[in-house]
Amino acid sequence: MNLRDLSIKRKLMLITMLTSGLAVVLSSAGFLIYDLISFRQSLSQDLMTQAEIIGYNSAAAMAFKDESAATVTLSALQAKDDIVSAVLYTRDGKIFAQYVHTKASTRNFPAPPQDRGYRFEGSNLEVFRDVTLNGEPVGTLFLQSDMRQWDSRAKRYAIIFLSFVMISGFFALLLSSKLQKLISGPILHLEDTMRMVSATKSYEVRATKFYGDEIGRLIDGFNTMLSEIQHRDTAFHHANDELQTRTLELEGEIVHRKEMQKELLNAKHAAEDANRAKSAFLANMSHELRTPLNAIIGYSEMLEEETHELGKVESVKDIQEIQKAGKHLLALINDVLDLSKIEAGRMGLHLETFEISPMIEEMVATLRPALSKNSNTIQVHVAQDLGVMRADITKVRQILFNLLSNACKFTDHGTISIAVNRSTDQGEDWIRFQVTDSGIGINAKQKANLFQEFTQADVSIARKYGGTGLGLAISYRYARLMKGHIAVESEPGQGSVFTVHLPAKVTPETTGTTQPEKTSEVPAASSEMKSNLDTILVIDDDSVVRDLMSRFLTKLGFHVVAAASGEEGLRLAKQVNPLVVTLDVIMPDCDGWAVLNKLKADPELAEIPVIMVTVVDNESMGFELGASSYLIKPVDRDRLAVLIEKHRLTRSSTVLDAKAFAASLRNASPKKAGGREKGTAARNDSKTAAPVK
Amino acid sequence: MRRVWFLIVTTCLLSAMALAGHADGVDSSDSSEYLIKAGFIYNFAKLVEWPTTAFPQPDSPFVIGILGNDPFGATLDTIVADKKIDGRGFAVKRLKWSKDSKDLKGCNILFISSSEKEHLDSVVEAMKGLPILTIGDAPGFAKRGGIINFTLEDNKVRFEVNVEAAKHADLTISSRLLTLAKIVQQVAADGRKSE
Repeated sequence: MNLRDLSIKRKLMLITMLTSGLAVVLSSAGFLIYDLISFRQSLSQDLMTQAEIIGYNSAAAMAFKDESAATVTLSALQAKDDIVSAVLYTRDGKIFAQYVHTKASTRNFPAPPQDRGYRFEGSNLEVFRDVTLNGEPVGTLFLQSDMRQWDSRAKRYAIIFLSFVMISGFFALLLSSKLQKLISGPILHLEDTMRMVSATKSYEVRATKFYGDEIGRLIDGFNTMLSEIQHRDTAFHHANDELQTRTLELEGEIVHRKEMQKELLNAKHAAEDANRAKSAFLANMSHELRTPLNAIIGYSEMLEEETHELGKVESVKDIQEIQKAGKHLLALINDVLDLSKIEAGRMGLHLETFEISPMIEEMVATLRPALSKNSNTIQVHVAQDLGVMRADITKVRQILFNLLSNACKFTDHGTISIAVNRSTDQGEDWIRFQVTDSGIGINAKQKANLFQEFTQADVSIARKYGGTGLGLAISYRYARLMKGHIAVESEPGQGSVFTVHLPAKVTPETTGTTQPEKTSEVPAASSEMKSNLDTILVIDDDSVVRDLMSRFLTKLGFHVVAAASGEEGLRLAKQVNPLVVTLDVIMPDCDGWAVLNKLKADPELAEIPVIMVTVVDNESMGFELGASSYLIKPVDRDRLAVLIEKHRLTRSSTVLDAKAFAASLRNASPKKAGGREKGTAARNDSKTAAPVK
Repeated sequence: MRRVWFLIVTTCLLSAMALAGHADGVDSSDSSEYLIKAGFIYNFAKLVEWPTTAFPQPDSPFVIGILGNDPFGATLDTIVADKKIDGRGFAVKRLKWSKDSKDLKGCNILFISSSEKEHLDSVVEAMKGLPILTIGDAPGFAKRGGIINFTLEDNKVRFEVNVEAAKHADLTISSRLLTLAKIVQQVAADGRKSE
C-alpha cells in the first residue's frame, strides 16, 4: 500500500510517531554520545591518575632496582579489573617489571616505551608515563585498560536507550491515537456524512461541527452546500410534481378534447348528412313544387288569353291573381334553390366579357313597371367609356336587379339612382355599382342582419311590401362568389345607399365549376343539311309539359312533334329532322342526358340544336354534352320563342350563306342579340317579366 | 600468518630481556657493585630529610664523606656531579678515621668503607646525636648503631635500615625507602637488643 494512500488517521499517527521518535532518538543519542565521550575522557583521566600513583609507588623500587618490590607494587592492580596489563621500563627501555591481569587472555604490550600520554588502541586504553623520583626520571610506566567500564556503561546505556525509546514510543502511540481523533474524527465524520448523502440521496442530513478550526469551516461549507442542494432538490421535486400534475391535466384535456373532437366529428357528419338530406329534400321539393306550378302558371296564362278573347273581362283579373301568386311562389322556390346551391358550394360562375352600359340600360328598361308602381323616378349615372367587364353577367344582373327592385319597393314618390364607375385599387380594376334611394331606410339593428337569409328589416315589412326576404342574402353571396362585396349605408327615414364592388376581371374560383365560354352561335350547319325548318320535337315524359309546349309553339306557327320517352324522341328525330329539339332530363328508362349524348353522337342529328327544358339545375352538364341552350321549368315562353326564332333564322340562312352568317354572328355582341341562352338568365327575367303569350 | 610473526617477535624480545636481566644480575664485579651502591647513595639523599641545622646555609651542598678505602673510584663523583636536590649540590670528601676529626662531623652522608670494620662502633659513638646519615658496607653495621647498611642478596645490592638510629640522628627516612629496606633493630654491644 502506498504511503500516500494511508488514511488520515494513520498518517497523523505516523507523523506524530516519526517526529517524536526522531526527537527522542536524536536527543537521547546526543546525550549518550556526549556522556560516553566524557566518560571515556574521565576513564583516561582515571587511568592517568592510576599511572601516577603506580609510578609514584614504584619510583623508589626502580631507583633501587628492586624488581620484586616493583612487581609487588604492580600486583596491587589486581583489584582493578579493567587494567589488563602494566609494565615498568627502565630508563634504557628494558622491561623492569610487569603485570598481567589473570583474566587477560593475551599479554601484548609494546617492547619499547612509546610517547608519553594516553591513547586508544583498538578497544583498549593505554597510558605511558614517566616514573620520577624527586623530579628525576627513573623509568617509564605502561598501563593498559580494556575499558570494560566503558563497554558495560555503553551496553547499559543501549538497554536504557532502547527501553526508553520503546516506552516513550508506546506512550506517544497511545497519546497520538487519542489525539489524532481531534483532526481525523471530524474528517471521518464528514466523509461518513458525504457517503451517506451520496448513497441515500437524502439531502436533509447535516454534518456535525466539532471545532471552529479549518475542518469546522469545511463542514460549515459542506452543510451550506447541502442546504443549497436540498433547496434545489425540493424545488426540483416540486416543479416535477407540478409538471406531472400539469401533464396529467393536459392528458386529461387531450382525452377530453379527443372525445370532443369525436363528438364534433360525429356532429359534423350528422350535420353533413342532415345538410345532404336537406339539399336532397329541397331539390326534390322544388321539382315536386315546380311541376304543379308549371301547370298552374301555364294553364292560367292560356286561360287568361282565352278568357280575354272571349271578352270575360271580370274573370281575367281573377286569373291574373292566380298567375301572380304562382309566380311569387316560383320566385320563392328559385331563391331557396339558389341559396341552397350557394351553401352547398355548387354554385358555379360562368365568366364572360360584356359591355356594362347596355346591361344597365336593359335593366332599367325592365324595371319601368316597378318604378311606376310607387311613382318613383330613376336617374342613371353611367360613367363615360366604362367599357367591358368580365364576370358572370347573370349574377351581376341579379344583384343589381335585387337592389333596384328593393329600392323601388321601399321608396314611395321618391328618387332612385344608379351610378356606375370604374376605379383602381391595389393594382386591380374595380367596378362600383351604387344604388341610392330616398326610401324608409334601415336602422342599425336591421343593418346587422341585412344580408342574412329570410331576414327582412321587419316582419311587418314582409306583409306590407312582399318579397321572399332572400334577395339581399343571395346578392351578397353572389358578390362574394365573384370576390367582390356589398356595403350599405343608411339612416331610418333618410334612404339607403347600397354599394357593390366587383372586380373588373373576375377570376374563376375553381376550375371545373366554370365553363369554357360558349358563344350563342350555332355551329355551322352543313350545306347538305336538310332540315324540317318548321318542325319542333318536344321530348318530355310529362304530358302537361308536352301539351303546354305544343299549344304554345303551335301558336307561334311551328309544327310540333311530341315524344313521351327518350327512345321515342330519338326515333322521331331521325324521322322528322326537326328544326329544334326541346329535351327534358328526368325521364324513366332513358334520361335526357343519354338522349343528348346519342343525338350528338349521331352525325345526322348532331347539327340539330337541343334546348334543354328541365327542372334539373345543371346547365354545365348540358353545355358539356352539347346542348345549345338551357331553360329551367317553368319555361319562360318569351325566352323560348326568341331562342327558337334565332335557331330558325340561323339554320335557314345556313342554306344560303352559312359561313357569312356565322361570321356576322360572331362579330356581333351576343348580349345585343338577346342575352345568354341560359336557363338562369331566363329565370331571372321571369321574376318580373310576365311570360310571353 | 600475522599471529605467527607476532609470536616469533614476542618470543625474541622476551629472550633478549631475560638475557639482559641475567647479565645485570651476574655481573657483580666490584666496579659494577659500587656503581650501583654509588647510585644508591645518591638516591638515599633524595629519600632522607635532614634537619635545617644540618646545613650551614640553605644552598650548602650535601657533603658525602668516604671514610677509609675508597671503593668507588671516580664513579660516585661522576654520579653526583651536577646533581642537585632541593637546590643543594654535592661535595665528595675522602676521610681518614680520627676520633675528633671535624671533617667527619662536617659530613651529611658518611660512607664507612669495609676497611674501617674495627672502628665501626667508634664511628657510631662519634656520630651519635649528629644529623649524619651513616652508611655502612659491612654486615651488622646497622645492628650496631649505623643507620643504613649495604647487603648482598642473591648477588643483588640491598640495604638495611636502623630506624631507631635515624630517629636519634634526627633524620626522617621516607617510607618509600623503608618499604625497600630491611628494617633492623639495634643490638647492644653485649648482643642484646636495645629497646
